[in-house]
Amino acid sequence: MSAGDGAPVIEARDVVKRYVTEAETILALDGVSLAVEPGEFVAIMGPSGSGKSTLLNVLGLLDEPTEGAVYLDGEDTSTLTERERTSARKRTIGFIFQNFYLIPTLTAKENVEVPRLLDQDPETPARAAELLAKVGLGDRLDHTPGELSGGQKQRVAIARSLVNDPRVLLADEPTGNLDRQTGRDVLEQFEEIRTEGVAVIAVTHDAQVADYADRTITLVDGRVSADEPRVATTPTGSLGASGGAGSPEASGSSDAGEPGGTTGPSDDAGEEDDTSHGG
Amino acid sequence: MADSRDRPLDRLWRRFPALLIARRNLTRTRARSSLAMLGIVIGVIAIAALGVFGATLQASITGSLGDIGNQLVVSPAANEGVEFLTERDVREIRRVSGEARVVPVRQNVSTIDVRGETRRVTVYGMDSPGDAYEATDGRIPDPLRSGALVGANLADDLDIDVGDSIVVGDPEEGTGESYRVQAILESQQAFSIIDPGSAVVLPLRDVGGEGYTQVVVTAESGQAANETAVAIRESLNDREERVSIFELGQIVEQIGTALESVNLFLVGIGSISLLVAGVSILNVMLMSAIERREEIGVLRAVGYQRTDVLRIMLSEALLLGTIGGAVGTVFSLVGGLLINQVLLGDALAVFTPTNLLYILAALGFGTLTSLVSGLYPAWKAANERPVDALRK
Repeated sequence: MSAGDGAPVIEARDVVKRYVTEAETILALDGVSLAVEPGEFVAIMGPSGSGKSTLLNVLGLLDEPTEGAVYLDGEDTSTLTERERTSARKRTIGFIFQNFYLIPTLTAKENVEVPRLLDQDPETPARAAELLAKVGLGDRLDHTPGELSGGQKQRVAIARSLVNDPRVLLADEPTGNLDRQTGRDVLEQFEEIRTEGVAVIAVTHDAQVADYADRTITLVDGRVSADEPRVATTPTGSLGASGGAGSPEASGSSDAGEPGGTTGPSDDAGEEDDTSHGG
Repeated sequence: MADSRDRPLDRLWRRFPALLIARRNLTRTRARSSLAMLGIVIGVIAIAALGVFGATLQASITGSLGDIGNQLVVSPAANEGVEFLTERDVREIRRVSGEARVVPVRQNVSTIDVRGETRRVTVYGMDSPGDAYEATDGRIPDPLRSGALVGANLADDLDIDVGDSIVVGDPEEGTGESYRVQAILESQQAFSIIDPGSAVVLPLRDVGGEGYTQVVVTAESGQAANETAVAIRESLNDREERVSIFELGQIVEQIGTALESVNLFLVGIGSISLLVAGVSILNVMLMSAIERREEIGVLRAVGYQRTDVLRIMLSEALLLGTIGGAVGTVFSLVGGLLINQVLLGDALAVFTPTNLLYILAALGFGTLTSLVSGLYPAWKAANERPVDALRK
């Protein structure tokens, strides 16, 4: 159930993002257009400073484009007020972060409930438990993040991102703090999520992510330099054998897919990941 | 899951989810939160306890003065050369005093002799001492025609009992006369011009001198005493200054007013400590807002409105304030109970409207302080753009 020919659930049209600092104006995004359909899994790759994170923030309505617009279900979001944008975010978008960003004092279940906690919906706890069971943490409901491994934390974060029934999941380096095998577990989760019609957009340095994506978009200097469907076929399992970063399948996509092969300029938006976290 | 849902406390937190998050956030930095709370506790105690202690002290002092607040003592105006009050003066006083009991007194000094032990004492001559004083032992005859009444202190001193015989006057000068003791008189609790506690009361005609040295007027209340004093002045001091009136109630009132200002001053000092507590809450909340920057960014990303973040942060400040305030209130109440037990002999006397007002004001002020202190950090946290907060 990959990209069909339905209407895009989220779309960026000619998005330009400029950061004006005292010294200079940085062009983070230079006319990026992108449309993602329900159930589609898109990986966004590119060197540091290429604008990946900025794009994700703009798509997630966390940041406003300088020019151009983001459309959710065909609706222009540039005219929304701050309050309406927050509501649209809550309704449509789920977020997953490299550092998980779980609240350390809340249990796994409460963390999953967080996005809906203020709604006082009596169904929320049951829904949270159900989602945690779905990501394989049915026996960890009352554990606090400190008692969970990195992979488990990211799965809690995935459950949290799903609690509002989003149409789009935005993931920022979802596997960045995880070892390869755990990262694969997380990607399996994405695989399952998109079969339910949720679009997944992941910004990543990890070539492994691209192996799971329907297509990989490569950004260089704020422009889309490549937008390629996944080469051939390999579903999930056969990748396990290769330990290196550059698996044969990944080599079909842009060279920017190799984490080690990129030496971009120092980044404006601080995209460099910090892998010391987690565990 | 089901069990955690069924606990009533959990249900309560679920009803106020912002409070749940706030509580968890506070328990995360237990030591810091406790210290901030301690500030509020101290501030509330400072205000409530100082207020209550002061009010209790005031009650204690005016209380011991209060039982004579309804007495007037009318004396001859000595500066004007009036040496004693006449029958006519007494009649006039009786006329304007209405319901009040009027006891004319002739005061003198004499020697008493009890079983060979002699003592110089004040002697009061009165016709109806029962109108102004009470007996601890024996009965006060009304009117007093024969026998003597002895004040409690003097009776203690010389070991005098009802029925004993005492000699008043100097036998060597031939003025000594023997009296049977009819009653022991209760001592006045507070100061008074006429205190029979260390004196002997005799029938009026047995005390030497002319006219009356004082007239004791006992009214129903302090208010009535005040009105009587005005009436006596109007009547007797109309043309010339004839009497001076010693009004205990007025003095009691003045002391009360002075104590009240002292009390307000103390409470003012107390509120400074609450101000300091407010600054410490401001500091704690600001640190917490900075530390949790990313977390707040996540909340905003997953759809929390700015007002939601504001509400959570303010709930934290409010929790600090109300819990600290409640603890402070409990301490103040306990302290108030103790001080009332010690000063007034009645711990429950702490529950007066004034005291409760002090305690409520302290609690309210403490809560308000923490809320105001939480405003800026909450506003700061709520207005940060999530994209800035989440920037790694």
